[in-house]
Amino acid sequence: MEILVVLIPVSVVLIGIAAAIFLWAVNNDQFEQLDKHGFDIFEEDSGDEK
Amino acid sequence: MSVCTISVSDMHCAACAGKIRRALTTLDGIEATHINPVRRQVLVEHGRATDPLQILNTIESAGFTPTLAGLDDHDERQRDLLKRLGIAGLAMMQVMMAAIALYAGSFDGIEPAYERLLQFTSLLFTIPVVCYSAVPFFTSALSSIRGGGLNMDVPIALAISIAFSVSLHATLTGGSDVFYDSVVMFTFLLLGARYIDNRLQRRFDLTGQLLSALPSTALRIEAGERQPVPVAELAPGDQIWVPEGAQIPVDGTLDGNTALLDEAVLTGESDWVEKQTAETVYAGTLNRGAGFGLTATRTVDESRIADIAQLAEQAEVGQARITRITDRIAGIFIPSVLALAALTFVIWQFVDPSRALMAMLTVLVVSCPCALSLATPAALTAAMTRLRQLGVVLTNSEALERVLDVNRVYIDKTGTLTTSRPAILHTEVLDSGMNQAECLTLATALQRYSSHPYATAFEHAGADSGPGWTVEDVETVTGGGVRGWISADAGGPSAEFRIGSASFAGASGEADDRSVYLARAGWVIARFDLSNQVRPDAMASVTALKNLGIAPVMLSGDSPERCAETAAVLGIDFLARQTPEAKLAAIHADQQRGARVLMLGDGINDVPVLAGADVSAAVVEASDLVKSRSDVLLLSRRLAPLTDLFRVARQTRSITLQNLIWAAAYNLTAIPVAALGLMPPWLAALGMAASSTLVMLNATRLLSVAPTEAAPGMEA
Repeated sequence: MEILVVLIPVSVVLIGIAAAIFLWAVNNDQFEQLDKHGFDIFEEDSGDEK
Repeated sequence: MSVCTISVSDMHCAACAGKIRRALTTLDGIEATHINPVRRQVLVEHGRATDPLQILNTIESAGFTPTLAGLDDHDERQRDLLKRLGIAGLAMMQVMMAAIALYAGSFDGIEPAYERLLQFTSLLFTIPVVCYSAVPFFTSALSSIRGGGLNMDVPIALAISIAFSVSLHATLTGGSDVFYDSVVMFTFLLLGARYIDNRLQRRFDLTGQLLSALPSTALRIEAGERQPVPVAELAPGDQIWVPEGAQIPVDGTLDGNTALLDEAVLTGESDWVEKQTAETVYAGTLNRGAGFGLTATRTVDESRIADIAQLAEQAEVGQARITRITDRIAGIFIPSVLALAALTFVIWQFVDPSRALMAMLTVLVVSCPCALSLATPAALTAAMTRLRQLGVVLTNSEALERVLDVNRVYIDKTGTLTTSRPAILHTEVLDSGMNQAECLTLATALQRYSSHPYATAFEHAGADSGPGWTVEDVETVTGGGVRGWISADAGGPSAEFRIGSASFAGASGEADDRSVYLARAGWVIARFDLSNQVRPDAMASVTALKNLGIAPVMLSGDSPERCAETAAVLGIDFLARQTPEAKLAAIHADQQRGARVLMLGDGINDVPVLAGADVSAAVVEASDLVKSRSDVLLLSRRLAPLTDLFRVARQTRSITLQNLIWAAAYNLTAIPVAALGLMPPWLAALGMAASSTLVMLNATRLLSVAPTEAAPGMEA
């Protein structure tokens, strides 16, 4: 059971990383308009990129 | 009088709404306050002397954070909730894991060192939940207490902080009763419910949907080149190109020959309409045909779509009577809940002190009256959004309740039952010196100034007037016609021409209301017989109304014979050749007999009649005066949206009732069960979250009420 002393700090670090990734994703609009990209194929190419 | 709309993001419940309303009554110059708890908005009608800043300050001193609406704070709030929810979720997984070990340990024995380790691990993961995720509950509860009231976050904040401090105390003093799992679970589930409710609310966001129908840029034709410019910069007179499949950016007149448009966003009518040169096209509608040019006649803000959005907004923020009743119920509710929770704790002290704390926490969490206070506003808001999509704008949200009682509909015939475009059936020239073409040209020249539906019959009837023609001193006479001075060449002799009803033009003999007379200098020179046809969809709508138990009655200025003709086709009652006074008397007589009357009118002379009816409706082409006096605005000339109105109103009543019964039943059963200690804490949090989400979900059912179709089976 001594392994807990190692595993729990490891899990704390992993969760810390997961939380950081999650916050980054929300702040960078990764969860905005989740269904938007499905409709992209109907949009005409605006031509201003390229 | 001015109106300002204020968003109050931390107004979660009826008690808050009541507090804001009370705070605003202390301010001078406030004429009316309308609160919409669903959209978290306050609409204040105030005198010119009142500064909107003062209103903001007043709301702030009542313990809220107001912002002037118009800024899209919805996305920001949603993102903030998502972050708090995600953190709570991640933490909950860890705390639950430790909790399982701790529960197992309390049954099978656990080494004190490991128990400490697990408790501290739980504490470590609970701290971000309490200090970050649960913060909205604390700030909202605190600000409500500071403002001298209690909102529904008070019980939640109490439950979270009591559970956390008891656990913290146990962890630090070596006790074994920790409730970290309850703390994170309460927070996660309650935040989850709030997040979902917020998302659902967005579907009710009517104004946002309407204005999102507008493109953000337009192609302005500058020196033959199509330049993209922001829509807000467009001014009347600008030439604009609308490509195939694009939305029209602003109201204007068509320059091309024809255009095929989808006006569903404005009228709810799914059939595409063809527009001719110089006809008005509206912002937000969709170009289904080839690209065309248009000349802007208005700016975006003045376009019809913006008008409709504003009307809808006002109605939406207005509150219905039922809402106020629920407000009062919820206002009494929270203090009672707190008292009940305290009582539970005290009684359990005598029965089984070890279960007292848990029972009290469960009562606090389970008894939130959110479902109760959302029940009516959620349904009303959803109903209004759906009606707008179907082509009906409510300018007064209380009208939806009055619509329920209506069992008689007076329909002003012109345009709604018969085609809006009368055609010239026959031209009779009564002056030997004139020919038919000349008469039509003269009539067309004069009728251009008239807004009477009959005038549209002349729109393309006559040739364009000759090059030297002048039409001067034009005057339109309501109920009569148009008169003006026309001369064949500029500066030459001119004569007074009149076009209009028989009496106006000076015709003698049998007057016929479906004929238009043209007179020169007092002598009738031509008679135009017009025909009106029964609109193809009117039949189905009339049948649908009858199936709903509503008797339609046709009102008309036409002769009884002509009315009887149309009425017989439609199978409805009619009142022919009525003055406004007589129409009003007829409505009063019906009301005396216990009928509730909806009046659909479109002329200025109908204003007193509209005012006398229980519910007044107007078509969108009606004059501004009529529209401002109407409870209901039909966005097209079809009658089908009117039947939709009745169907949605009835559906709204049953959904509101279901919501109220569900909310009341939930609170009445959950609280005793929780007080008796029979409810596990996870079920309490889930039940509370589910109760309000269910109410919102039930309301969204209104968003999918199907439109009345002219289904073949309907005639039966």
